Amino acid sequence: MITFENVDVVYPNGFKGLDNINLNITKGEFVAIIGLSGAGKSTLIRAVNGLVPYTGGTLTVGETVVDPRNKSKLRKLRARVGMIFQQFNNVGRISVLNNVLIGRSAFTSTWRSLIGWYGAEDKEVAFQSLERVGIVDKAYNRASALSGGQQQRVAIARVLAQDPEVILADEPVASLDPPTARKVLGDLRRIQQDLGITCIVNMHHLDLARDYADRIIGMRAGKVVFDGPTGEAIDAVIEDVYQRSLTAEDIATVNVPVSLEDIPAEAEAEAVAAGEPDGNS
Amino acid sequence: MTAVAERPSAASAVKRPEPPKPPLANYLGLVVIAMAAFAFFWWTREDTSVLFLPLGFITLWAPQWPLIGFLTMLAVLALCWFTRTSPMAAFGALSVVVFSYWAGSNIYFIDRIIDVPSRLTGGNTRDQLIGYFNPDWSYLLFSNVAGTSRPIWGEWLITLCMAVVATIIGCFIGLLLAMLASPVSSFNKATSQTVKAVNSVVRSIPDVGWALLFAAFIGGTAYGLGALAAVLALIMFNIGIVAKLLGESIDAVNPGPLEAADATGANLLQRDRVAVLPAVMPSFVSYSLYVFELNIRASAALGVVGVAGIGGELSRQIGRMSQGYENVGAILWALVLVVLLVDLLSMWIRRKLL
Repeated sequence: MITFENVDVVYPNGFKGLDNINLNITKGEFVAIIGLSGAGKSTLIRAVNGLVPYTGGTLTVGETVVDPRNKSKLRKLRARVGMIFQQFNNVGRISVLNNVLIGRSAFTSTWRSLIGWYGAEDKEVAFQSLERVGIVDKAYNRASALSGGQQQRVAIARVLAQDPEVILADEPVASLDPPTARKVLGDLRRIQQDLGITCIVNMHHLDLARDYADRIIGMRAGKVVFDGPTGEAIDAVIEDVYQRSLTAEDIATVNVPVSLEDIPAEAEAEAVAAGEPDGNS
Repeated sequence: MTAVAERPSAASAVKRPEPPKPPLANYLGLVVIAMAAFAFFWWTREDTSVLFLPLGFITLWAPQWPLIGFLTMLAVLALCWFTRTSPMAAFGALSVVVFSYWAGSNIYFIDRIIDVPSRLTGGNTRDQLIGYFNPDWSYLLFSNVAGTSRPIWGEWLITLCMAVVATIIGCFIGLLLAMLASPVSSFNKATSQTVKAVNSVVRSIPDVGWALLFAAFIGGTAYGLGALAAVLALIMFNIGIVAKLLGESIDAVNPGPLEAADATGANLLQRDRVAVLPAVMPSFVSYSLYVFELNIRASAALGVVGVAGIGGELSRQIGRMSQGYENVGAILWALVLVVLLVDLLSMWIRRKLL
């Protein structure tokens, strides 16, 4: 479905974002990309829809070769490849429904977009997307009035409105609290399986990647240093990706306390004490 | 105070740093700059304007202002030194002194302003002030424009209508130009730079300049065409302001939603419509209301070049010299009132909308 052949990305300032990447992602796969900040995770994802133009090699999505220079071909490609962001990137001042309708832009004529008059089918698609993420009741609320988890669901609905073959997600749950992160990621996983969408997700949290992904790709300094099914991504392999030993935070289990009462008093005190030496981490 | 004192001192292994002393060399450099400025002012001083300092055994005479200017510069530098201001900030303070001295001395600002009290006690300045503070309200409410049957208050209505028309057309064109001018929403760098250049030309001609130009193009001053010239002038004035301010708002817009719109395959116009416009809408409404206020005020100034509205009447009354002071006063006070009302109205609208 998505093929990287010797793909390089060199930024205008000379920094090498991706270094000779070779990958083959098959249809319907849920791939998690892990790695430290600056390892090239975002660059890899953004190369797929041309938000970051790749400078060498060949990148193919389906039958189409991604051509960062050809704007109209790129728009056609982007219509098939949806993207979700860490900061949701909804337009805060307009309604949830209008945010989802932004996903229909590629299928709407420019003049219709300009006067904000979307067709009945577009609205139907938008409502179906909202139903799929379970926030159809918020359709006419302002997007900025929603909670973080709901906003990310709006973003997922916007992407679903494109009827995409591929969903790229750049740190989709990094701005959410752990229980919400699991819910949103679970929704994404379910929808992806229902519709057979290929999904590439960047993640900071190893535990989330292990729980939801079919396949894990580890990156370091613009290179793929691990690529295999989730079962093979044992701690030793991940330590090689991160170049450090795993901490308790990396492999936190599902037992995340949901409310304050669940946290025992001593544990809280310990956490405060433990947090002091490196309070900024 | 006690709360601070009673706190147990935390591990005091690391000493608290003192504010750093600015480097002396930089300050000496600033003194050299001050001396250079002094030398320049001494060189270009007027020979007639000198200050004698008779000290008994010796008569020190120096050009009046350069020396005082130099002492001011040194005093500012000394103050900066003792307050441990950074050399860059001290340079800024020095520049303010040098430039205000230079600019002020070129237009004899101090010499002229000293004259003002003597003008207030004699001549017609006094009569004018008396006239302005005793406005003739009956003129404003019941008189007609000289030589016609049109009431004065009708001129206010015309001014208001000119402002409304100019605001609506000018702000709309300004919005389009702002979209083209900002590199965020424009087609390419070249378009953006060109529109910005055109826009600075539009802005460099003042509103009165535009009014003179349009009055000359179209001809006719009093009614009909006079109002048209004023409206066209205000439109150009508004385009300049809105395109500049809104263009900068667009520059500062959060890039996230734009990227999201790009990622869905939207084209540029769709992206501007769905992501940029909603983000800058509050700024646009706010600037439009501000521009409406400016238009009310500006149309009074435009009257000086002979276009319609209350401004035209104001310039006619000022032209009557000693007979018109009470009338001018009435118009000016009413202008203050109208601008205040418009301000309150726009504040109310802004609160309701945002």
